Order: sequence, then C-alpha cells, then structure tokens
Amino acid sequence: MTSAWLTWPRPPLAATPREPVVAKAATQRISFSGPQARSLWQPRLERLRHVALAIEFEKVRQGRIPATLVWTDYDGVDALTEQARAIGLDAKPVKASLGYAADWPPEASIDEPKRLLDYAFLIGARPLDASIAEPAADGLAQAAMRFGYPACCARSWANDLRHGGSDPLASLLARDDKAAMPAHVALAVLGLGPLRHAPCSADCLASREGSRAFLDLGRELGFVEEMAWLEEIADWAVDASLVNGIAEITTATFRCTWLSDEGAARARPLRRAVMRPEKRKAAPGEPADSANILTEFGNGFEAAGFESPFAMRSRFSTVVWEQTAALRRATSAVHVGCREGLLLELIAQTKSKLKLYGTEEDAAAAEAARRRLGASLPVLGGAGLEALAALARLVPEGLDLAFVDPKQLGGRDALAAVRAIAKTVIVIGTDRSLHRFKDMNAYAAAMGLALLPGRAARVSAALSPANDRLH
Amino acid sequence: MTVEVRPLGDKCNIKCRYCYQEGIRTAGNVPTRYDLDAIMATLDRLAEPFSLFGGEIMMTRRPDLERLMQLGFDRHGGVGMQTNGTLIEERDIELFRKYRVRIGISIDGPGPLNDARWAGSLPATRRATARIEAVIETLCREGMPPNVIVTLNRMNAAPERLGVLCEWIRFLGSLGVRKLRLHLLEQDETEGGEGLALTAQENLAALRRLRRLEQELPSVQFDIFAEMAAMLRGDDARTSCVFHACDPYATRAVVGVESDGRLGNCGRTNKDGVTHLRAGREAFERQLSLYRTPQAEGGCQGCRFFLACKGNCPGTAIGGDWRMRSVDCPVWFGLFEDIETELQAKGETAISRSERRSDLEAKMIAAWSIGDNPTLHSLIEQVDAP
Ligand code: SF4
Ligand code: SF4
Repeated sequence: MTSAWLTWPRPPLAATPREPVVAKAATQRISFSGPQARSLWQPRLERLRHVALAIEFEKVRQGRIPATLVWTDYDGVDALTEQARAIGLDAKPVKASLGYAADWPPEASIDEPKRLLDYAFLIGARPLDASIAEPAADGLAQAAMRFGYPACCARSWANDLRHGGSDPLASLLARDDKAAMPAHVALAVLGLGPLRHAPCSADCLASREGSRAFLDLGRELGFVEEMAWLEEIADWAVDASLVNGIAEITTATFRCTWLSDEGAARARPLRRAVMRPEKRKAAPGEPADSANILTEFGNGFEAAGFESPFAMRSRFSTVVWEQTAALRRATSAVHVGCREGLLLELIAQTKSKLKLYGTEEDAAAAEAARRRLGASLPVLGGAGLEALAALARLVPEGLDLAFVDPKQLGGRDALAAVRAIAKTVIVIGTDRSLHRFKDMNAYAAAMGLALLPGRAARVSAALSPANDRLH
Repeated sequence: MTVEVRPLGDKCNIKCRYCYQEGIRTAGNVPTRYDLDAIMATLDRLAEPFSLFGGEIMMTRRPDLERLMQLGFDRHGGVGMQTNGTLIEERDIELFRKYRVRIGISIDGPGPLNDARWAGSLPATRRATARIEAVIETLCREGMPPNVIVTLNRMNAAPERLGVLCEWIRFLGSLGVRKLRLHLLEQDETEGGEGLALTAQENLAALRRLRRLEQELPSVQFDIFAEMAAMLRGDDARTSCVFHACDPYATRAVVGVESDGRLGNCGRTNKDGVTHLRAGREAFERQLSLYRTPQAEGGCQGCRFFLACKGNCPGTAIGGDWRMRSVDCPVWFGLFEDIETELQAKGETAISRSERRSDLEAKMIAAWSIGDNPTLHSLIEQVDAP
C-alpha cells in the first residue's frame, strides 16, 4: 500500500495545481455527523481510496486511458513508483505543491524542503510523455477525450481550463447554484470514484455512463463490496454549495469543505432554511418600559430596609430559595409587614397551591400589594397587632410559616402574636439589618432571638422555638 | 483551549428562546445516557483544565458531577462550570467550595429582563429567574462570586430597558460580581427568538453605554472591551475564541467532551440540528475567503480591523452560513473604532493604524494558507525583529 491519493478530475490539468489541495482538504476536512457514522464510513472511505487507485491503474494498464495522475507526499514516492512498476507502468513527477503544515513530518525542516512538498506523478505506459497531462490550450478538448472524457464534458472542461478554472465542482456550483447535485458528482472530489472526469453538468448522461464503467471494472477486479458502497453513496441526498469561494458538501453521514480558486458566488440562503428542523414556538413577549419594570420590582424598597429595588428583589428571591424545603412542607404562610407584596409574589411563583396572607400597616403599600397579588391573596391592613389579630380570626387553625423582619415588628407583643399564629417563624435579613449586624446570627442575638443552626452566610433563618425574648 | 464537558449534550431544563443549541434539541439529537468513565478517560488524555458545560450541567446526577469536580480539583486545582443556575440547591454550595468550582451563570437581568430565557410559561420563567438571582446572591455571600453571562436582547437592552440593566449590573457589582461576559443575541436561531434581537445600532448603543458603565464601576469588568483593546494592541495571548480565527470544523479554542467521551466541536455553528464531530484537520478557509471577499458580498476585504476581528465568530455568521462574516460586524466595527480612537489618544498605536498592518496581514494569510494559525503577537515580534 502507498500513501498516494487519486485526485479529481483526471488530466488535462489546470495551471495551478489545485488537485492535491482540494482532494486532500476535502478528505481531511471530513467531519462525520456522529460516532456511528464515523465508525462505519471512515474505514470504508479509506478502503475506497485504495480501491479507486487500483481501478484507475488497471484502466491505464488496459490502455483505456493513457495515464492517470496521483499525488503523494515525499515519503510515499518510492512506494508509488514501485506500485506502478510492478504492473508494468511508468511513474513520472509532473508537479509539486507545498503541503499543509499540519501534515509535515515532525522531523522535517525548512532546510530539507523536499519533505514539505506533495508531488504529482503521472502514471502511464512506457514511454510516458509527461506533457500529455498539460497540452497546449488548443489541444485541451482532444486531450480530455483521450483521458476518457465524453465529448460534451471534454469541451466544457477545456473551456473551464482556458478561463483559469481549476475546480470542476466549484465551477458547476458557481454556474448554477439551484441544480440538484447528485452524490456521485458532489463527492467525486474525494477521489474515490466512480466519476473520474469533470462533467459538463450535474445531470450529464454520458458522465453517468462513465461512472457505471468504473463500477463495472471494479466488480470485474473483485471489489464487489466496495462497489456496492459506492452505489450506496450515489443514492445519498447531498447538499452542495459554494459561498465566497468556499465549497461545502453536506450528507447525512458527513460534511466536508475546501477553499476553491473559483470566485465568489451568490450565497444560497435557502439551503439552510431547507435543512433546518422544525422550530419550537415560544411565547410572544412585549417588553415593558423601565418605569413599569421598577414598579414591578417594588417601589417601597427603602421603607422595607433595602438599598435598591434590585437588592430587595434579589434578597427576597434568596429567602425563597433558602426556604425551599420549608415551603415545600408548608400549606400556608404569611409575610408580616409585606409592603408591596413582592416576597409573597415570589413565594406564590414557587408554590402556587400555598395559602398565602400578607399584613401591611401602610395603606398605600397594602393597596399596591393587593394590586400585585390579586383578590385571592388577602392583605390585611391596620396597625401591626391589629392586623395580626384580624389574621388570627381569619385563620383560626393557624399558619405553617410566618416571614418577618423583627426590626419592623415593633416589639415583644407582636412577636408573641406571630408565634401564636405560625408554627415556624422565618426571620429575614434586610440590607439595613445585615449591614449593621454583619450576619443573621448577630442580628438575631442583638434582637434577643436565637435561630436554628444553618450556613453562616444565609439571609433567612427559622427562629428557635425555645426563645422569644425580643428586645 | 477551553475543554467543555457535556455529559448530557445539549439537554437543558429551560428553553431559552434564543439559545443556539435549540436546533439540536428540536432535532431530538440529545443523549439520554452518558459514559462517565469514557468522559473521565478523555479528560485524562487531554490533561487540560476543563469546564462543566451543557446544555445544563446541573441535570447530571450529583454523584457523577462530584466525580467530575473532584477530577478537576485533583488535576488542575479547580474546575469551571457554566450553568443557568436554576437547579443549584443549597447542598451544592459546599460541593462548589470543596472542589473550587468557578461558576459562570447565564442571566439577562432580574425578573422581566430575563424573560427571553423562557422556561415554558411566564410563572415558570419568573420562578427560574428568581432562583438564578438567589444563587448569584448566595454565591457572592459565600465568597464565591460567579461570573455572569448576559445576552443583550430586546427584553433587557432595548433603549427603554437599558437603564434598568445598567442599574442591575451596578447592584451585581455591589454584591461582589467582578466579571461579566456580554453576548449579542444570535439572530438566526429559534423562531421563538425572532423579534428578540436588537438592531445593530441598538446593540452598538447598548455596548457603548455598558462600556461607559464599566469605566464608572472599577470593580466590574466586561471582558469583551478589554479583549478588543488587547487585540488592537496585538496582544492576543488571553483573548477569547471569537478573535482567534475559529474553524467551525475543528474549533481549536473550544473542545467538547461529549456523553461518550468523544471530542466534539463548539456547538455554536451547528445550525441544522447535527453535532458534527471534529474534522481530522484544522483549516482557515473562512478567514482566507473573508480576507479576499468584498464586504458587499459578506466578506471583510479592506477592513482595517481584520487582524483583530477576523470576521468574528462563525456561529454568528450572516444567514447562519459560517462562510460569511459575523452578522454583528457593524457592532464590532463601531466598538473597534471607539477603542482605536482612545488608544491613539493615549499615544498607543492600534494595529489597525499601524504601518506594519499590510505586512502582518500578508504573513497571517500565508500562515493560514498552509494551515498554521500563529498568534498576532508572534507575528509582530517577527516583523519587529532586526
Ligand atoms: S464557533 Fe464561535 S463561540 Fe464557538 S469556538 Fe468558534 S468562535 Fe468560539
Ligand atoms: S469589523 Fe466587520 S468587516 Fe471588519 S473584520 Fe470584523 S466582521 Fe470583518
């Protein structure tokens, strides 16, 4: 086996040696659509590369074409010439091209530039005239026909070459980006066959014949399984496009790409749209303006002990997050001194089935809370103790949780009233209290309260049942 | 190189209306199982610090997550984590501390500003947002301030909302957040995302305002502005992937370790629901093409910021086609101009105005042509060498 690779299309060749770059790039730039696709097709493609070389050599040996062109890196030169000689053919170097830095052998250096190049060899019967691959411009079509091109394709490729073309697929795509591209045309660039010449159009019948002849010869040579793979590939749906000189072919198994010399073509915006899977619909949304948003966050942040509406919102969110477990167990809760009802709203979002209540002394804030929370969530007005008494009447069976800022409660009696109503009292740390006392434990201690143990950095905590001395 | 570990691929508990992974999820290409041993073996082989990523990484089973965190801590002294924050619970805080997890949280703002990060219904979205806000505050209080990733869109940065966003960022700074990453909305993703994108002018206006805010808030840094300035100085050692000639077939800056341990690409260029595997070779067709393609045809020909910008992220390319320049070009161009002017005013030479620019461009193009991707810094050293 050699490390040589067959390029596409067959000679006659373009002035710029694009063949090694394109074929190698397309091969090395294959990106499989998943692990299964890769494990099945990577070895197959590798095998097809070798089989295509053997079929092409046989065509030359049988005299069906005068020669073929094969590229190899420096280390593969001896093996390639040996392989050709073994079947009575000659191998002549005709071109060299600077390879890809990533492919250079680690020991190669700029002092030995021959190891940095890829080499094109013409493989043909002796005596081999290397100029047949690059005839004069007026003999291009005849030369193409000698190399197995149907007349229509020979004329078209000769014309392409005369206009500086070098990449048949890219030029097909540049010419007509709407034509469906059969897989055997699109993937010919990989140098695996069965299409070996540059076709005049994506649906050229004579080119299809040429592909069939390649497959037949392959089978005759015993490559039955490999030819079946090629036939399978020929049935693939492919999407080929050229955008700003970059060609890309996408199949369900892999995609590959290369930079072409062909000029920029029109973009094909439809391509993506066609391939895009059905998209999920999301809810529509109309942004409200800043004033509405700040109202939504709560205007009474200062009275509630916070430095900004963001701080209040963030803190109340944190309280709800910290009390997730308690809220999960609870069926009812009250926020004592609920201001505009933000904490209650956040709790309701977390557990909509919870029966919630609020108390608020400030009439305007209580009204804002009612607007925010709706009629089903009672917000009781009036002075602290009064509201708590009303709540006790409203919920004689008591509540599971009460959220309080002890600083706002106003005294021992109020705390006693809260404790009488709620099984568990959750103390909330506001900016004001946390700035002053540093953490919840210090805050509670300063208020003569004790908390159940928890993280030092928490912003809410359950009051210990054993302690109710409010300073 | 950023290594992103994605045990559950793009699986996520919320479905942001603009998320670039939505195409993959809609196509149903999300793994339901993962092979932790294979993932850990790949991480061992890569021997690089890594980040826990997704989809949503917190959907991973906690014991498995802990093993990954422990691996990161044992090998690299810590591990990054990118999360939407909604599934973090109190018990996780200790894990984060124990394994030195550096957390990045995506949120576009408080309450309604985050509505584009849609969780299925408005109450669910608001609930999720409140949880994220809580987690940010908690992490700050615990001395582990997260980095915050904000995607600018109509919900948080439309002219009538930008002021609120800025005030919220000021608040985050007061909490202890030090770093914010700003993303522009990918305009071509979900249908639900349609109508959410700001216009180029609005994006530019928003970024300019945020840049002014950064100057007012010494403790908060938006990485994008510092990176753009660094690129214009030719100092690209620590700038992010969008400035490094990304190849969507083999994203060098971002390598995904997928559910079965195989290596994947950064998913931002997957527009058709398929997570393609890495190609065998990295190449720079996109940058070579953009350099020679007129701007009117989607290229960057003649742009003096090309060395710094390189057409930006292929995942944001015009029409979703990675071969085109970024759809956000006017935004990048405008910001580069602002920063260029400021550098010049300070007596520094921006690479875009340097006499060496064309020489450097030629060298970069030559390098890309043979598959090499040198740093700008190394090219400048070469050009400056006697
Ligand atoms: S696709 Fe974009 S985000 Fe992903 S690695 Fe490339 S530049 Fe970065
Ligand atoms: S600013 Fe625009 S034109 Fe210039 S390099 Fe960036 S994307 Fe290209």
